Amino acid sequence: MLRSDQIMATVEMVQKENLDVRTVTMGINLLDCRRGTAKNTCRCVEDKIAGYASNFVEECDLVAMRYGIPVVNKRISVTPAAFVGAGFDSDEFVLLAKSLDKAAAKAGVDILGGYTAHVEKGMTESDLAFIKSIPEALAVTERLCSSINVGSSTKGINMDAVAMVGRTIKELALQTADSGGFGAAKFVVFCNQPGDNPFMAGAIHGVEEADVVLNVGVSGPGVIAQSLKKTIEKKGRENLKIDDIAEEIKQITFRVTRCGELIGRQVSKKLGVEFGVVDLSLAPTPKIGDSVGEILQILGVDDVGAPGSTAIIALLNDAVKKGGIFASKAVGGLSGAFIPVMEDAVLADAVGKGALTMEKLEAMTCVCSVGLDMVPIPGEVDAETISAIIVDEMAIGMINNKTTAARIIPVPGKGVGEVVSFGGLFGESPIMEVRNVNKSGRFISWGGRIPAPIHSFKN
Amino acid sequence: MGKQLVISVMSKDRPGIIADITTVIYDLGGDLADLNQSVLGGYFTMLLIAEFDEKITPEDLFAGFSHIKSKTKLEAIIKEMTVNFEVERSHLPEETYIVTGQGDNRKGLVKILGDFFYCHNINVLDLVTTRESEKYTMIFQVDLTHIASLDVFRDELSILGEEEKLNLFLQHNDIFMATNEVGTQLETILAD
Repeated sequence: MLRSDQIMATVEMVQKENLDVRTVTMGINLLDCRRGTAKNTCRCVEDKIAGYASNFVEECDLVAMRYGIPVVNKRISVTPAAFVGAGFDSDEFVLLAKSLDKAAAKAGVDILGGYTAHVEKGMTESDLAFIKSIPEALAVTERLCSSINVGSSTKGINMDAVAMVGRTIKELALQTADSGGFGAAKFVVFCNQPGDNPFMAGAIHGVEEADVVLNVGVSGPGVIAQSLKKTIEKKGRENLKIDDIAEEIKQITFRVTRCGELIGRQVSKKLGVEFGVVDLSLAPTPKIGDSVGEILQILGVDDVGAPGSTAIIALLNDAVKKGGIFASKAVGGLSGAFIPVMEDAVLADAVGKGALTMEKLEAMTCVCSVGLDMVPIPGEVDAETISAIIVDEMAIGMINNKTTAARIIPVPGKGVGEVVSFGGLFGESPIMEVRNVNKSGRFISWGGRIPAPIHSFKN
Repeated sequence: MGKQLVISVMSKDRPGIIADITTVIYDLGGDLADLNQSVLGGYFTMLLIAEFDEKITPEDLFAGFSHIKSKTKLEAIIKEMTVNFEVERSHLPEETYIVTGQGDNRKGLVKILGDFFYCHNINVLDLVTTRESEKYTMIFQVDLTHIASLDVFRDELSILGEEEKLNLFLQHNDIFMATNEVGTQLETILAD
């Protein structure tokens, strides 16, 4: 048997620090579902998802019960729909969206990701029809999430697509105005979108993947926060240096990752599905004590957004990767620290206090694993300004060879400081100020493509 | 195959005691198989299995141990094994779980859980307990192969914990292996 202190440390992680597996996501290839008509394609899509995912949720629950570790979310990601329905018109893409939603409901999952197009270098007529379908597709479905990859480090940034997604976001928010523009919370714009990310709203099953794989997202930031608190209390703050903190984060991440991968591999084995990757990302939830912002406060900034916040995110992101990569056989996805404003109670609180601004958040995204995530802004902000916020974020990803994403929610009829709430995992937050509105239209209207950056001369 | 003996020894702990015991076994031509040793409250204990020639008797070993110098007399129990011990590593049952129990120290805590497992026809594979100040910690490694329902068992354990004011926790053994054994691949843990 293991040493008793090791056993009790693990018990504490599960019992007191709420260790869980944040998501198990089944990725399903739909490229072979294409048929002569949209209707037949949709039928085939529904059949294929049902064939693989009919007992997916049940098996996840059984494994979770056996191991005593909750699997919080069970989700499905599919091949980007723009590939599956290449040649469809907008109405036909909406049919496909409805079929995906129906299949998700039948499988018992709350979210399905992959209503997606990759247009970083250019757009076909079909891509244009697809992007135009997004507002309606998300308005008429419950479980569907959508994403568009508009940039990459090797292809540059498609400015025509950037302009389009700004307008799409505005329309999405307007079509779902009754729920505070919730439609925009299910739509995310990417640079360097990974094909094996299990976290929503940006999960897809990349075209480079096997027919079906299972990807796992590890436990949230609460485990790290609680463990850091305990270590600081036990050893005394005066006896610790910041590198001791980094080391502690690595150690916890190791355990959290091994636990996540064990559960994922067991579900894989039960379903007879290939295991994909472990995504090491710390994904906060609105629940108190499950916040990346809290980790920043524990490490020494009184409010998130205060000077020092970016450095802490850099340390956290790096330590999580180091601990997790050693622990796991296959790491992928986004793997770092998420800072989604509405989904993290401490970040949302910092927005309310005026401590966390859009500019500081953007700076923090340079070193976090995603980007401007779940950021509510005033509903009156124009589409061009939204596109400009997005392209700034995409540029960070393109130049730094990392994934960046933007999930901006213009809340219809609401202004700075007013609170928008979506409930559940989507959380709530005061609306963040956007400065310099209406000043970027000339830039966005250029269209064309920002060329891919040079990959040498890196001094 | 010769004669297999199971040997248990206990003495006040001191440097060199392992060397003394294994020298006696070596001098009698013994071949060690599995061995467990620990020190508890300053007392050294060792339980081992060794194979000897047929002519070696427990009395030969007692005689050898009697020459070992120690502050307290080295006490030994020796039994001849009736069924040959398989040296090949035996795997833990698939449904091996860890039950941890913590509470204020009082008499009868191990008995409470021992009775509970006995009533449920559960075999305890390993047990470690520690007392730190007034807090008592018990760690049972148990085989749950024969329980009817894990859910029901978990509920019953929870009720017992409430009744006895113990913090009882049940978790699959694989979780502890995965989170603590750096060198063990997860496929190996799942395959075992």
